Amino acid sequence: MANTDKMICSRCKVEMNHHCDKIVYNVDAHDAGKTDPSLGGIIEEFHTCPKCGSGASRHA
Amino acid sequence: MEGSRSLFLPVILGTTRQGRMSLHVSHLLTQEVAKQNGVETELIDIAAVSLPTGDAGEAIKEAGFSGKMNRADGLVIVAPEYNHGYSGLLKHVLDSCLKEYIHKAVGIVGVSAGPFGGTRVIQNLLPVMREIGLVTIFWDVNFSSVQKVFAEDGKLLDESYIRRIDKFLKELIWMAKTLRQGREQISLD
Repeated sequence: MANTDKMICSRCKVEMNHHCDKIVYNVDAHDAGKTDPSLGGIIEEFHTCPKCGSGASRHA
Repeated sequence: MEGSRSLFLPVILGTTRQGRMSLHVSHLLTQEVAKQNGVETELIDIAAVSLPTGDAGEAIKEAGFSGKMNRADGLVIVAPEYNHGYSGLLKHVLDSCLKEYIHKAVGIVGVSAGPFGGTRVIQNLLPVMREIGLVTIFWDVNFSSVQKVFAEDGKLLDESYIRRIDKFLKELIWMAKTLRQGREQISLD
């Protein structure tokens, strides 16, 4: 299930822009249950703050 | 406001070998990046990035390097060619980050003592760049027979490199600006 909440920049407190999803395969045991069975890995979302340019990521 | 922020384009020196000629190349690149309008830079020597070798990947992320990669809009990687490949420690350092690189520009400078100017190390680095989310430009700079390009004190002996570096940096800056706009303003959703 995709995460639809906007990420908030920890520095500027503004909504970040979701600009990329990437599949990450090298999961450890802790992440094993989060693997998307149809893709074979975890989808990581990448977000950037439009004000300061800082980046952040989270599991989708 | 956002549009007035300088670009940050650090130069990564991708070897820890003693007597490395790539140090001269890195100083030259850093100096030329610093001349560009609206661009800040600094030299990041991977010998100064303190990472353990008993583990690898993001588990050993170093705060200083990670912070600089997060701030960066693009990278210049100076990569000497060793046995047709890149330095293992360069890969070790690059692998310690991921989210910090996504949708950022990268230009690669190949260095070799032989005649091919690091073309093979550049080719070997391209799939690595792609997988960690960096966007490569199609200009490279190739330092062939690097021991003849610099004097012992690091003085550049062949001024033709300045023009090549300038063309390389113009493309890198264009790509870095474009990708910054994309990261900050263009949504995937």
